[in-house]
Amino acid sequence: MRLLDWIVLLGTLGFIVSYGVWKTRGSKDIEGYLKGDNSMKWWTIGLSIMATQASAITFLSTPGQAYEDGMRFVQFYFGLPIAMVIISITVIPIFYRLKVYTAYEYLESRFDLKTRSLAALLFLVQRGLAAGITIYAPAIILSTILGWNLTATNMLIGILVIIYTVSGGTKAVSVTQKQQMAVMMGGMLVAGFMVVRYLPESVSFGDAVAVAGKMGKMNVVDFSFDWNDRYNFWSGMTGGLFLALSYFGTDQSQVARYLGGKSVGESRLGLLFNGLLKIPMQFIILFIGVMVFVFYQFNQPPLFFNEAAKDKVYATEFAPEMEALEEQHTALFNQKQEAVHGLVAALRTDDGNAIAAAQAEVQGITDASKAVRTEVKSLIAKATPEAETKDTDYVFISFVMKYLPAGLVGLLLAVIFSAAMSSTASELNALASTTVVDIYKRSVKQDKDNFHYLRASRIFTAAWGTLAIIFATYASLLDNLIQAVNIIGSIFYGTILGIFLVAFYVKYIKGHAVFIAALMAEAVVLYCHFYTDIAFLWFNVIGCVAVLVFGAILQFFIGQKDERLYA
Amino acid sequence: MKKTDSKSTEELDKPPFFKSWKSMYWLVLGNLAFLITLFYIITRIYS
Repeated sequence: MRLLDWIVLLGTLGFIVSYGVWKTRGSKDIEGYLKGDNSMKWWTIGLSIMATQASAITFLSTPGQAYEDGMRFVQFYFGLPIAMVIISITVIPIFYRLKVYTAYEYLESRFDLKTRSLAALLFLVQRGLAAGITIYAPAIILSTILGWNLTATNMLIGILVIIYTVSGGTKAVSVTQKQQMAVMMGGMLVAGFMVVRYLPESVSFGDAVAVAGKMGKMNVVDFSFDWNDRYNFWSGMTGGLFLALSYFGTDQSQVARYLGGKSVGESRLGLLFNGLLKIPMQFIILFIGVMVFVFYQFNQPPLFFNEAAKDKVYATEFAPEMEALEEQHTALFNQKQEAVHGLVAALRTDDGNAIAAAQAEVQGITDASKAVRTEVKSLIAKATPEAETKDTDYVFISFVMKYLPAGLVGLLLAVIFSAAMSSTASELNALASTTVVDIYKRSVKQDKDNFHYLRASRIFTAAWGTLAIIFATYASLLDNLIQAVNIIGSIFYGTILGIFLVAFYVKYIKGHAVFIAALMAEAVVLYCHFYTDIAFLWFNVIGCVAVLVFGAILQFFIGQKDERLYA
Repeated sequence: MKKTDSKSTEELDKPPFFKSWKSMYWLVLGNLAFLITLFYIITRIYS
């Protein structure tokens, strides 16, 4: 990294942290600390919601996912706008009416203490694990690419977040997220502009999109139905809807964002703002990944994007084999050049036969390159068994480091740090408020003064932050980071959503029945995860439906038993 | 009492650009339908 990159990176992060601490200095009571004094306007809420969801994983993994798999991941978000509307109509007015600090507080007034505590604990487990991954995911990639120490990188992200989150609570989280969102979107748009600019002069933007299409990357919508397909229209509209309902309606890291609104209307507008902009935002990030793919059709890509993992093989007895694969890779790339330029020329002629022939030639070479990459992965696994052989998370950052000029590298690293910090801050804030409001204040120390709970909130924020850093330090690399977070979410969200849906809409089911139903539903979801091949998005549906069905059946029998008792 | 308070607050919160919240919700859903249609056209054109 060059001096200018360091100045941009440290300057950006330093400004955001200082601004967060300065702007929210003097948080003196629990209302201000956990709900930001209900002073947030809709644009702050909207940006805060988007920044909370957009973690560093979004900016590292998503372009890599598009590079490998095309645009179809965007369908995962199709259910989100519908969820925003449903939550705006039904959930927000109830939370405002009851003046709750957390979503789980509502469950006690509707059911009982044990159901509230169960939902809070499910959230704490799920979000506690996710907070560690939120820090670890960018740290492992940055430390590999930049040669930084992993523990130091984890600590840098974690400590920066702890400083302003402990100091200013919810308000600090929301105000810093506005700056972070500006850095994130500004940085990504600059990266997108640069990748298109770096295409050969003879290749226009239109040519680039057409080549991407012919190479199967512009697969934005797929209406075919397949239970095991993670990303198609149907899984997005059902599983994606359930996941979004759970995440935005019941996950305290999101609920806290809109509970800090000035009014019902401000909170609603914040959510609807997200409903309007989230899909275009994901589309842009994926499209940048596709453009990076096209860029690498004209510029030789690394044989393996995690070059540090590849270099380790050169220190082993397998070095000659790796060298041979490098040569094959280079030869195939040179061969591909002519074929890709031929495809561009064919696309301009509009001659169907010529396009099909050129496409087949490019596809043949691409398949051969894929086969070489598969051999490389096997070789890495053989030479260094502990190494991760999936390199899609390194695609985008590898491009940034190798091709972007001084200053922009620092800006893009600031994007990744900002994203990591914005998500982690919301998570720590939510973990602390749930611990204090739903567990500590409700079941441990009930009769303390305001100052005591404010201090407890600060201590729990710091404690969860420390725990997240420790978890991040000892976490091993999961198969695919963005999917790992979504899978963990899906295992718990369905059950939590089921509890809340019963609470909102099924007055017939009471506390005891819903509590047992939630435990049974969680067991069913865990069985599906460990013993079946069902795609994880369906866990949201399964967990939720299981709570509703088990709850109704149990209530029927419990109701009959109660009737017999009172007969 | 609480219920009445929040209801009156809610009524005061008129959405911007539109007369009712229902129109705002239709805007979000209409935008979704538009994006899916646009993405479908993109998929068809470039496949």
